[in-house]
Amino acid sequence: MAQAAGRSASQTAVAPPGRARRAGGTILKYVILGFFALITIYPLILVVSTALKDPLRITVNPFQLFSSWHPQNIVDAWRIGQFGSFFFNTVKITVPVVVLVVALSVLAAYALARLNFPGKGLVFLLFTLGLMIPFTSVMIPLFYQLRDMGLLGSIWAVILPAVAGSAGFGIPLGVFLMRGFYLDLPNELAEAARVDGATEFQVFYRVMLPLSAPGVAVLSVLVFFQTWNTFLLPLLYLPGTENRPLATGLYQFAAGRTQDYGLIAAGALIMAVPVLVIFLIAQRQFVKGVTTGALKG
Amino acid sequence: MALTGSSVATDQTAEGSRKATIGKRVNEAGARRKAGSGGTIRGAELRTAALFIAPGFLLYAVFMLFPFIQSIYYSFTDWNGATVNMPFVGLANYIDMFKDPFLWSAGWHTVVWIVVGTSVPVAIGLLLALLLWSNTKFVVFFRTLYFIPFVIPVIVTGIVWGWIYHPLFGILNSMLEFVGLDSLTRGWLGDPNTALVAVIVAAIWGSFGFVTVVLFAGLQGVDRGIVEAAEVDGASWLQRSRYVIIPMIAPVLTLVTAITLIGGFAVVDYIIIMTQGGPGTASEVLGSYAYSKAFEQNSVGYGATLSILITVLSLVAAVAFLRFRERER
Repeated sequence: MAQAAGRSASQTAVAPPGRARRAGGTILKYVILGFFALITIYPLILVVSTALKDPLRITVNPFQLFSSWHPQNIVDAWRIGQFGSFFFNTVKITVPVVVLVVALSVLAAYALARLNFPGKGLVFLLFTLGLMIPFTSVMIPLFYQLRDMGLLGSIWAVILPAVAGSAGFGIPLGVFLMRGFYLDLPNELAEAARVDGATEFQVFYRVMLPLSAPGVAVLSVLVFFQTWNTFLLPLLYLPGTENRPLATGLYQFAAGRTQDYGLIAAGALIMAVPVLVIFLIAQRQFVKGVTTGALKG
Repeated sequence: MALTGSSVATDQTAEGSRKATIGKRVNEAGARRKAGSGGTIRGAELRTAALFIAPGFLLYAVFMLFPFIQSIYYSFTDWNGATVNMPFVGLANYIDMFKDPFLWSAGWHTVVWIVVGTSVPVAIGLLLALLLWSNTKFVVFFRTLYFIPFVIPVIVTGIVWGWIYHPLFGILNSMLEFVGLDSLTRGWLGDPNTALVAVIVAAIWGSFGFVTVVLFAGLQGVDRGIVEAAEVDGASWLQRSRYVIIPMIAPVLTLVTAITLIGGFAVVDYIIIMTQGGPGTASEVLGSYAYSKAFEQNSVGYGATLSILITVLSLVAAVAFLRFRERER
């Protein structure tokens, strides 16, 4: 990180007002950081520990940390608790959403950033309006609309609204994020391609799209995690069990079998681990996406 | 989640402002080029633009703009979701709203949610970001760890916090007993006095890492030389933070506050997962009230009216925020 240089400079150059006070301050700092680290980590450990709890010993105190070792819970949740099928349903919903959001957003964002046409400002304004409309504002009519379209209960009842951005990240965020990327790209390459006789689509597909790969990565990661986690969309529009994803599967399971802590925790683990793994792998994209999303606002 | 506006809080980051100027220049250059080109090219460009935008815009319009407009229409009806006709009632729902005691209590809970659920994570996030920024070891470790709750699904967060609040086995009660405060123990989500705050605390756990990470990114643009100069002049850590560092990240701070705050108007998921508005209506907020009216009590028209109220409130907050930021600059 860039602050490394500044860090060492401040430690050597500045004469401390009092070495003891400074040491005390440093200790206090790590105490605070450690305290919040504990608060962050305890609920996570609680899930892991409970997921490994032997159902025979769970009645004593289900939340005593790591008092038993029973990984069978995870297998049971996957099979008996149907979390295996919830898992694949979640994949079947998440993958198309990510692909569609990326594909449709890059196209629209490119046109809004690099082409000129009447009504451009209005179109962009309408897209950005989507960033400000909360899901609550569309959830009621959307239910009847999806019902009339015969989509209620099919995975498209979640996919299409999610792509449209009803539940947060979707095309509006994609257009906003990617437009920023295309505005930042230098014009020379596109011009050179045009001079060589490339069509506007070729300019986009061969030149600009590869250059915006980092933006596509950021967008994919954000949309993946939001879609994987999305709860209200399937709660409202996927009423049956057939296509139930993890979010509502876990919700129904936990509501129906409140005492089965081990299996509930195992289900929670099955849902959270993929997000965590992808977060740890793509942490840079994650943080970048969240911060540009926020800082650019 | 992101808010929009033409220009940028990234004045803070050197990279951001550089990008912004380049972007602007390119844009102007592009505009000039287009202005100079002939009519046929312009026609081709319009066609390309239409082809590029249409698929995305259509989906967005059908599943977002259209239902939004429908919401407005529903709010003028007395529809129960079952009949073919939607009885038009004009402004009746809006008038009923003001006489509805449940609305006022849900509104008050939303205010509590917004005030507590914004100020606490922003305060924690600011403290942690400042601490991480001041010559701390293991920065990446802490930042990664704090961010994890933000990516954890809300349903998982809700369930595990339900266990923390468990009347018999939850760690919260165990800890209170351990320090001798047995009288305070209770079923936190089942007690009308604590249900709302207990849910808010779970939501704070889910959001403070986001605030921390965004503010920490904002701090990367702060000139350490100035802060060190203040230190040489004898300013304490608190004084440096208050008078030197925070003013330099004020735009980011305002922004992250606004995002958290505006999200608070529409919150539904935490409530549905953890308390379903209960016990009674002790933790009912505007979003969950609209949800239960429309989907559980068949008052679709009135539910839509509530959703419009939420939209208006959050749009007003967004506009107020944009104004505030204009003045800040």
